[in-house]
Amino acid sequence: MEVFQNLVRGPDGITVLSVCYLILRIAMPVMAMFIMIRCGKSLLGFRREPEVWAWLRMPTGNLLPVTHWENLIGRKKTADIVLDFATVSKNHAVLTRKDDGSWKVTSIGGRGNIEVNGTQVMTGNVEYGDTISLGGLELTLEPVSKEEARLQSDARTKAGKGHSPGLTLVLLTLFQMMVVTAFVMYPTEHRNTILTAYGILVGVEWTLFIGQKLIKRSGFEVETVAFFLMTIGLGVAASANPANMFKQLISMGIGLVIFLVLGVFLRNLDKAKKLRYVAAIAGIVLLAANLVLGRNINGSRNWIYIGSFSIQPSELVKICFVLAGASTMDQIVTRKNLLSFVIYTAFIGGCLVVLNDFGTAAVFFVGFLAIAFLRSSSYPNVALIFVGIGLAAVMVLTAVLAIRNIPHVQERFSGYGHIWSHVYDNKGYQQTRSLICIASGGIFGLGLGRGWMQVMAGAGASDTDLVFAFVSEEWGLLMACMMVVALAFLGLFVARSAKVGRSSFYTIGATAAISMLLVQAMLNFFGTVDFLPLTGVTFPFVSNGGSSMMCCWGLLAFIKACDTRQNASFAVKLSEKEVEKA
Amino acid sequence: MKNTASRSKFVLVLAGILLFGLLTFVIRYFMFADRWISHSHRSGTASIQKVTDRSGTVLYAPNEDQVYAKDAMVRKAALHLLGDREERIDALAIKQYIPQLVGFDKLNGTYGNEDGTGILELTVDGRIEAVALQALNGKKGTVGVYNYKTGEILCAISSPTFDPYDPPEITDANAEQYEGAYLHRFFSYTYTPGSIFKLVTVAAALENVPDITEQTFTCEGYVYVNGERINCQGGKAHGEQTLEQALANSCNCAFAEITQQVGAKNLINKVRQIGLTESMFVDGYYTKAGTFDKAFSEANNLAWAGIGQHTDMVNPCQYMTYMGAIANGGKAAMPYLVSSVESGGAQRYKARRTYTNSMITGSAARVLTEMMHNNVVKMYGAVNLPNVEVCAKSGTAERAGHENTATFAGFINDERYPLAFVVVVEEGGAGSAACAPIAAAVLKQCISVLNEES
Repeated sequence: MEVFQNLVRGPDGITVLSVCYLILRIAMPVMAMFIMIRCGKSLLGFRREPEVWAWLRMPTGNLLPVTHWENLIGRKKTADIVLDFATVSKNHAVLTRKDDGSWKVTSIGGRGNIEVNGTQVMTGNVEYGDTISLGGLELTLEPVSKEEARLQSDARTKAGKGHSPGLTLVLLTLFQMMVVTAFVMYPTEHRNTILTAYGILVGVEWTLFIGQKLIKRSGFEVETVAFFLMTIGLGVAASANPANMFKQLISMGIGLVIFLVLGVFLRNLDKAKKLRYVAAIAGIVLLAANLVLGRNINGSRNWIYIGSFSIQPSELVKICFVLAGASTMDQIVTRKNLLSFVIYTAFIGGCLVVLNDFGTAAVFFVGFLAIAFLRSSSYPNVALIFVGIGLAAVMVLTAVLAIRNIPHVQERFSGYGHIWSHVYDNKGYQQTRSLICIASGGIFGLGLGRGWMQVMAGAGASDTDLVFAFVSEEWGLLMACMMVVALAFLGLFVARSAKVGRSSFYTIGATAAISMLLVQAMLNFFGTVDFLPLTGVTFPFVSNGGSSMMCCWGLLAFIKACDTRQNASFAVKLSEKEVEKA
Repeated sequence: MKNTASRSKFVLVLAGILLFGLLTFVIRYFMFADRWISHSHRSGTASIQKVTDRSGTVLYAPNEDQVYAKDAMVRKAALHLLGDREERIDALAIKQYIPQLVGFDKLNGTYGNEDGTGILELTVDGRIEAVALQALNGKKGTVGVYNYKTGEILCAISSPTFDPYDPPEITDANAEQYEGAYLHRFFSYTYTPGSIFKLVTVAAALENVPDITEQTFTCEGYVYVNGERINCQGGKAHGEQTLEQALANSCNCAFAEITQQVGAKNLINKVRQIGLTESMFVDGYYTKAGTFDKAFSEANNLAWAGIGQHTDMVNPCQYMTYMGAIANGGKAAMPYLVSSVESGGAQRYKARRTYTNSMITGSAARVLTEMMHNNVVKMYGAVNLPNVEVCAKSGTAERAGHENTATFAGFINDERYPLAFVVVVEEGGAGSAACAPIAAAVLKQCISVLNEES
């Protein structure tokens, strides 16, 4: 009984207002769950019907579907097109579709003997009707007829079918209205700031949605997840320091530009591959600028100031890193560009050692693991393993240096695992306050803007490093869980999409991007609750921090680029049927 | 592509770790959230209004810059229950109820609770504790009194103590003086009981040796058991005695004989039944478990153990509860320290009476009660208070390298003042001489408080 009385009691006892507030407090996480279920169903429930891009006619007359832009042909079961003939190598060749729709075939490692129309080649263009001979086995490349294409596109799940993303966005907007109501229901001096900031957020998300509708793209779940997280993030800013709301929105705006530009670039694989070099150089320039101009904040030198505007270049380098690391199948199997990527990684690792930024080093390390693991493909890639070990060593070195040189890092590490013995000193101050406040918030939270963690914002990092606790205290544990689940959904989506990925470039890009986001979430959340030492990493889309926000939107473009559901993503070309209609 | 696709399951591993971590954390929330919140007032995230004694006197107000009781003696006596400002002393009973004090439950957190409205009422009385501390007169030791009918602890003090407004700087020079000052001896120490342990031996004898009350025991001042000489105090020969007389005389020779008749097994079982070797939970405090030999391969060791020496160690709170059980006919109310907690004007906790297991049979308890009253009448004039029947036993425990520890335990056999008590004075010398006056002063104060309340 008492439990229920407490549920209803507001700051002024049990009143009409307090009952309304109770309804809001419960309705918000319920709505959030509902939104997440809709996004999850749509992202994880689609039928993975492969896209057929061409056919290979066997000498027997059988047709083998070519289901990716890059297809490994060989005797091995893991090949995309399995040819179980003694004369065919385990990994024989790669058949690649170019952006203009033409095809080429590439021999792997030079051992596979390939003839196109009777001429031996290492790599050569293939036209429809041409014969490719692999170890004496003759295959004819045949196009997909319009009728087949139509049947196929009808068989594939349309993004948003059954789970209208528009309706989900309406629900998100309702959720945002609830959030605003919860903020302004009891008098606050920041009423107008909060109303304006959320108004802008709603405006932006609807503009983006309608814009995508206009270009006939119907998948908006990935963006919805991001906007959901941003809604919480803005709420944290509103509570901690309302002025930060606009900073976050501006960063989101820049992030969205990166997201859109990158997405459009990724649509075209040839362009994207060229962009890699630009990105790689940009990454180097950014880190170099960081090394030269970096200012020491809390022991790490990873901030540069331009006037009153501060950025963390290492955040933006993450986008460059993923671009530089993504690679197409023909490059993977011929190990092209591998050396440059290895050198690139080593350079980033080196910079992070100098910058003393252990948390970011850990995020890059996992990103590297993802890329290396996917790129090593069917080859045991000694070089990548070697670099992996090297990078791990770099990370340990960074950790050791950071722990030794920076008092606050040293304290964080030495307090790890026994924070309750350090309630009053820096070794456990942040995590103990976090756990106390998480408990204090209960399942439904103390109410937006009404927690204790806000006094620890800024220097105490409660709105960045400890944001899980911040959200848990004010929005409730349920909402904080939702925030973690939202990111996990994106991860599951990427893993699910990989099977019907067009190019390994996209699969690698998306895998690396989401891996980095997931590890960030992990380090942030686990650090806050003392499962791991606190590393000062932001929670994607939620933590206060402009550079981090931009980076997250940038990384999101890679996830959009792997969304091959029928007409789902602006970062993927429309199917020919839809183009025709248009 | 197939390979790349299957390797992208790498993400599943990461998402799996993240979700597993989340699940683990949620489980931990439901297991430990009240433990986390119990740090809240000290960490500054929440505050509590006050801790009062049973009369409503404020003993501690954490809100107002950690204010303690006005009276210096009360302040010092209650310190171990309240904790010092530097948190060297762990105020376990208060910590236990922080969730209620800040209005916490696992569904709502602290939502709806007005901060700084928590009030905790202890069962102790500041005046009684002050008298007890005064009576200890600077000696190390502990005094505990509780109501064996309700379970309320009226007094639980520990010495050495200090004024929380003027905490001592403990250095090598005064380390001896402040030995164990940060611990609550009543809950967290065990002592060699000395002859008060004979109350356990008698209980075992009454229950296991049918004709024990008809036997007589002859004392020549010493006796040899298994080749070891056991002396009576001062080598005094008590002559022929009944069990009651032997207890009043605290005759070691007679008890060496009685213990042999009881036998190791029965004595061990009795100790176990009373729970002396187990820890007891009292509002945040786990009492330190006592020890008792498990085998007794040598008869002389058994004899010494029955007299309260050998490896015997008992916790004062635990032993006081045993006194309550004797007084109450075999089992007593479990002692507790916190009577109620309120927050935001609503009651969040109210102590409920629970009982100990049966420690001795009703008939043994009745016989023991008579014998213990006889002790007081014959031997401990100091606690022979007017108009109430006080029952007690003293002990003088040998402690290597130190003067003897004086121990004293008993109860008032009276419906109006159902109080059991224990007094331990370290290096106090002879048990009754050191402790009986302290017990008398404290019991008198208790009686006057109880009279006032009724």
